[in-house]
Amino acid sequence: MEKQLVYFGIMALVPLLFPLLAASADVQDKAPDFEAESTKGTIRLADYLGKKNVLLAFYFKNFTGG
Amino acid sequence: MGAFQKDIESFEHLDTQVLGISPDSMDSHYKFAEELNLTFPLIADPEKKLIALYSDGRIAYLIDKQGMVQMVVKGMPKNSDILEKIKELEK
Repeated sequence: MEKQLVYFGIMALVPLLFPLLAASADVQDKAPDFEAESTKGTIRLADYLGKKNVLLAFYFKNFTGG
Repeated sequence: MGAFQKDIESFEHLDTQVLGISPDSMDSHYKFAEELNLTFPLIADPEKKLIALYSDGRIAYLIDKQGMVQMVVKGMPKNSDILEKIKELEK
């Protein structure tokens, strides 16, 4: 009985983990908003809404070419 | 990032803000931006918060004016492909 309770307890937590696993944005998804420090001051994605398209370019490391 | 700088006028002409993001520190970003004469912002993500929200590695997201992701390019993106997509969106 106790084992079963533990099992159900763990299963109940599984859905909570899904947002973490499915976090990466995809085409036609709403782009997750953020606020971050940049070389041109603080940037909020929401500030570009209705004004500009945004090309968000992730890369590994500075000074590595590309 | 130098490749984006080369075509920055084309992106700007199409109402598009380029934002570079890596886990590097602000200090490193300032040096890197200076060396490449980057006119667009570099975002520091040392705690990998944005990487957690979006994706890890070399990947570019084109987000339209409504805040929707319109294109995801893995690896080294070709500017011409991205500019073509933006032109479609602007129609």
